[in-house]
Amino acid sequence: MGQIKAGAIAKGTFLLEKDTPFIVTEREFVSPGKGSAFVRIKLKNLKTGAVLKVTHKSQDIVEEIDVEDVVSQFLYSDGESFHFMNVETYEQYEIPMISMSDMQYFLKEGDSYKVVRWDEESLDIKLPPKMDLIVTEAEDAVKGDTVTGATKYVKVETGLTVKVPIFIKQGEKIRINVETKEYQERINN
Amino acid sequence: MNLDTIRQRSLLTQKTRQFFVDRGYLEVETPLLSPQLIPESSIENFRTELISPYKESIPLFLTPSPEIWMKVLLSRGSGDIFQLTKSFRNSEQISPVHNPEFTMLEWYKTGIDADKNISITEDLVRALSGKETPDSVKAPFRTMSMEEAFREFAGFSLEENLSEKALAEKNRKNHIPVDDDDNWEILFHKLFLTLVEPELPTDRPLVLNRYPSTIKTLAADIPDSPWADRWELYMNGVEIANCYSEECDPAKIREYYRIECAEKEQNSLIPVLTDPEYPDIFSTFPDCSGSAIGMDRLFAQILGMRNIEGVILFPLSDIVS
Repeated sequence: MGQIKAGAIAKGTFLLEKDTPFIVTEREFVSPGKGSAFVRIKLKNLKTGAVLKVTHKSQDIVEEIDVEDVVSQFLYSDGESFHFMNVETYEQYEIPMISMSDMQYFLKEGDSYKVVRWDEESLDIKLPPKMDLIVTEAEDAVKGDTVTGATKYVKVETGLTVKVPIFIKQGEKIRINVETKEYQERINN
Repeated sequence: MNLDTIRQRSLLTQKTRQFFVDRGYLEVETPLLSPQLIPESSIENFRTELISPYKESIPLFLTPSPEIWMKVLLSRGSGDIFQLTKSFRNSEQISPVHNPEFTMLEWYKTGIDADKNISITEDLVRALSGKETPDSVKAPFRTMSMEEAFREFAGFSLEENLSEKALAEKNRKNHIPVDDDDNWEILFHKLFLTLVEPELPTDRPLVLNRYPSTIKTLAADIPDSPWADRWELYMNGVEIANCYSEECDPAKIREYYRIECAEKEQNSLIPVLTDPEYPDIFSTFPDCSGSAIGMDRLFAQILGMRNIEGVILFPLSDIVS
């Protein structure tokens, strides 16, 4: 655990506020007219889904927590929690889905991910910025539909529905931006 | 910064100058290097020195606004004046709305108060707006008092909760962490910045006025009220301008100097020099309203941008590695 000045807080920093671990989801420096310098942050507790908005003086000392990235295999989801296994120790982690149910669209059973751990708690699951997923359900393009920029919806292997160009077919692999959940390009094997 | 934006910026600067010249203001140039500053505890400054091979060097400061010398001109009977100049502020985090040196427009109009200066500012924005200017930036402005903003967005009356104890309590109630040594100003700003400012309406420019007079400034107080006669202009949530009915009472200015000098001595990273005689100029100072605009911010908004780096030819973040 380390003490840092609030001015050094960045998006993605893990902080201890009111003895609870939070991840910083938004950070903004503000110096109001005729006021001292402040840092306005939005925090999220991934276990409970609680969102906290706080403003610190830039000079305030806040508690940054030293988290550890643990490579873990995604086993399954039971609808309420994700279940992972530490690939080195075989220890199992249960992570409530409450504030990260969208992650189900990017987790593939059997694949390994980085689970962010601190004090026997799992705080976050790190996903790559882009992921390649196979299209499992797609309607064929309507014949004669040649309008440029025409789109349709397809489903990928994780269950996510994505808007894609009309030429994408079932069985093809597409690249998806994890943050926006948007189609980026088709991947040719 | 592309060539087109350089031309647009140049045109906006010319229009700004013409706007004030047409209205009878005198354009002035005052020192950027100053041996003393007005003490402002919320600002850190740039310090340098004049060196001489034969004498002791003289400390000088880059002015954080042209206020100090423009007020000397007013006290000597200059009448309405304006200035477009560089200003310098140290220790602010470089961000989409902060560059350590920036262009400031400052003007003083005699015989009016801060409220009357709203329409001058609206006229200026009208004169600068073009086809690329979003509606959220165009005049007319909406006006809201600090009390109205607290009632609407924080859910309580600021006027009824102005004590330090009440502010600390409101912070706790709203789950905002408070330190034992947080003073009145910190407690107020934590509430304002967490609950109020992010919620201010952005569909039109917003003039937020009547700030608590507990925040020490050189704005005149509104008699028989806890408010100071000053306002800040927001466009799309960004502070663009501030304006005062200027304090003219030398005794009150001396009191301001006493408090702010002590505060600066205690907390400033860069100590500054102030002139204890400066408050004396206010014995001949006219009733007036002064307003200042961060022009990089305004130009960015007028051109439909959010980031001032879009209108600064060489932002510091680009030229410092």
